[in-house]
Amino acid sequence: MKYFVSTVVSVVLAATFCFVFWVVVSHQYNWSAIAPYWGNLVSGWWVTLAISAAALIASVIVGALLTAGQLSPHRLPRWLSRTFIEIIRGTPLLTQILIGYYLIADAIGWHSRFGVGLVILSCFSGAYLSEIFRGGVESIPKSQWLSARAIGFSGWQTYRFVVIPQAVRRVLPASAGQFANLVKDSSLLFVISVHEFTMQAREVNANTYATFEAYLPLILGYFILTFPISLLSRNLERRFSYEH
Amino acid sequence: MSIETTRLSKHYKETAAVDEVTLCLPDSVQVIALIGPSGGGKSTFLRLLGGLEVPSAGEIKVDGECLPTTEDELRKFRQRNGFLFQSFNLFPHLTALENIVLPLVHVHGWESAAASERAQAVIARFHLSDHAAKRPGELSGGQQQRIALARAMAHEPALLLLDEPTSALDPEMKAGVLDLIEELCETGQRIVLSTHEMGFAKRSADHVVFLSEGKVIEEGAAESFFKNPATGAVQGFLNTVMKW
Repeated sequence: MKYFVSTVVSVVLAATFCFVFWVVVSHQYNWSAIAPYWGNLVSGWWVTLAISAAALIASVIVGALLTAGQLSPHRLPRWLSRTFIEIIRGTPLLTQILIGYYLIADAIGWHSRFGVGLVILSCFSGAYLSEIFRGGVESIPKSQWLSARAIGFSGWQTYRFVVIPQAVRRVLPASAGQFANLVKDSSLLFVISVHEFTMQAREVNANTYATFEAYLPLILGYFILTFPISLLSRNLERRFSYEH
Repeated sequence: MSIETTRLSKHYKETAAVDEVTLCLPDSVQVIALIGPSGGGKSTFLRLLGGLEVPSAGEIKVDGECLPTTEDELRKFRQRNGFLFQSFNLFPHLTALENIVLPLVHVHGWESAAASERAQAVIARFHLSDHAAKRPGELSGGQQQRIALARAMAHEPALLLLDEPTSALDPEMKAGVLDLIEELCETGQRIVLSTHEMGFAKRSADHVVFLSEGKVIEEGAAESFFKNPATGAVQGFLNTVMKW
């Protein structure tokens, strides 16, 4: 019975996948329409790669700082981090980008679209990462903290030698998911005219009306960026694993 | 090492885990066993003595010196001692050897070569050399507890505090751990342990303290304590636990 069910489910899933694949592939495409614009798409892809990679590193730093703030013994950093995280997570990225660039950055006279976009993306992703990191730290059993205290470790040593090495392993899968989101979220930077991948596809579409031909390359382009993150995460999980 | 407590209390909300305990254990006492029913205050008393908890009232003097109350000074006090818990509490991401080396290097300031040499010597003494490179997850409960004991005594602590060191082990593993503790007693190591192993307390302890409901019901030299318990409570307790 169990075997029968799993066979039926597998067949249905395989058939669905084949159907979807066939529908997408059998469409009559007119690739020549977008041929003059390949260069734009490729340059957009590079911009997305650059801003995602930079924001990925920066968001880890932002996330770590916010986590430190949340776990601080003092009330002010706890309250500031908490407020920041709630605001960032509770409001649309689109509005954050608009307000961040047209109001805040403008007020301080900073006009680099790429730079402002990078900061906003890093803050946005950092807020989510911080919650993942905090969850990881808080999942370390009380007995480990107690043991570290009994040994005579300071608070910082407890984090450095006991908590963080164990927490890293636990937060890897969720962080990898957040990094993939970050890559795709960078597409919203079109509202401040950062010429990233999705923005280029929109322009190709506007110029050619070849909607599918303009947008389908995004599938491949984003996948090439997100899949290595997933692979790297799995690889690191294995390397950091200590249970078996 | 003399241990003196004066009206020592520790409250958790409404309950008094340790309730006005006044004790005076002279320098001549080397091994002290805390016995009594579970929840009687043995663990809390041990943690107060080890500087892992701060008293709600009263004071503790070790060698005539009051225990400090600030976290920084308490940490220095804890560094001089060794602490072993019921539930092993090794760091799961480090090998057995690294578990012992880490505090030697980062708490006691040893050179890493010297620390490694010392750790290997202790592991050899505990007959665990074959397991030095294994992580706690690959060791049996008894082996883990022996490594934890090695970690607690590698820096030659002034006082070794053992909180029910064998309660989580099956009988055979218990024997292995108790053998090691007895060996430490014989080398002159000062030890305070809480235990349910009456046979061990009788054989190895110099002094026994019976704690129930946070109070000292009876205390005295081990030999007379077990031979002629003065109070009904202790007689009843000993009869129950020695019956099987």
